[in-house]
Amino acid sequence: MEPADDLDEYLRGDSALSRQYRKESAPTPPHALDRRVLGSPRAAHGNPPWLAPLAFAASVLLSVALVLAIVFGPQTAKRVDDAPRLVRVAAHSDTLTNPALDRKHHLYSSDPKSARAPADWLADIAALRRAGRNREAEAELRRFHSTYPDYSTGDLALRPGSRP
Amino acid sequence: MLMVRYRDGDSDAFSTLYARHKGPLYRYLLRQVRNAGAAADLFQDVWSRLVATRGRYEARAKFATYLFHIAHNCTIDFFRRDLKMRNTARPDDADALSEPEVPEYQRPDGIAEFAEQQSALLAALGALPREQREAFLLHEETGLTIEEIARVTDVGVETAKSRLRYAIRKLKKSLLPAPIPDARPLRTRTI
Repeated sequence: MEPADDLDEYLRGDSALSRQYRKESAPTPPHALDRRVLGSPRAAHGNPPWLAPLAFAASVLLSVALVLAIVFGPQTAKRVDDAPRLVRVAAHSDTLTNPALDRKHHLYSSDPKSARAPADWLADIAALRRAGRNREAEAELRRFHSTYPDYSTGDLALRPGSRP
Repeated sequence: MLMVRYRDGDSDAFSTLYARHKGPLYRYLLRQVRNAGAAADLFQDVWSRLVATRGRYEARAKFATYLFHIAHNCTIDFFRRDLKMRNTARPDDADALSEPEVPEYQRPDGIAEFAEQQSALLAALGALPREQREAFLLHEETGLTIEEIARVTDVGVETAKSRLRYAIRKLKKSLLPAPIPDARPLRTRTI
């Protein structure tokens, strides 16, 4: 085993071995490698460590607020008679506003009147009247009659609050 | 301390740390794995891990012990991966049959990149067992004490001391002048 003196001498840093090692070439990382390490976004910008927990807390807070808004928000107080009007008018907007599409639908559909049941349509018209949207109700009624010329509506669709 | 400043968001501190430690770290990795490509990958990996774990850094010891502990773990992973690759090579694999015992980083093409092997000292360093080579490199490149080398390499102080002692004993032999093969005195003729 090497005498302790040699190790101690070496550890003091003045040994021939250390001197020889320091004379050897001292390669350094290529510049491309420097750029890759220093160009790392997280290293270059050094985001502070408190940023991650803060972002997490903000996300949780936003999620909770969103859930509360959905559960207790104004949608739950929406009038019952608004729902069918909004949904059904939107669902059939193509056939109501575009006669070309309506004709196309009649050509390619096996049941031309399956797009909208008369009772549902009349209910929507009644809902439009109750909401005071008489001009839209009239237009819808005209379309109804053109689609179902033989369907007798009486005045059910014309009276506010009536159900077909 | 620079690392504490970097941990707290000062990116200039990282640049200073990098400039200060890049040379020793690169040489440590290059002379451990003895392949320029692998050393470059590990070098980048070490700094990436440092960046990723900076939030957990506590200034309890010299920064070099922290950095080189990461480097030590990276090289251990490298050697394990390399060993696993060799062990899982199929016996009927033509490449495996042609070079069954030589890891990728020690093949001639890899060693050719390692031009430093020309010097006797560095050749002797490359021939050392990995643990002894590491102890020597940690002391030479960073000035770590035996206790710090033990902490970086996760061994006891006596083990670290023993590794370093064996390393310097073998390396010192490389400094001795090579014996002359034929040392017979020349005959002189008198006319």
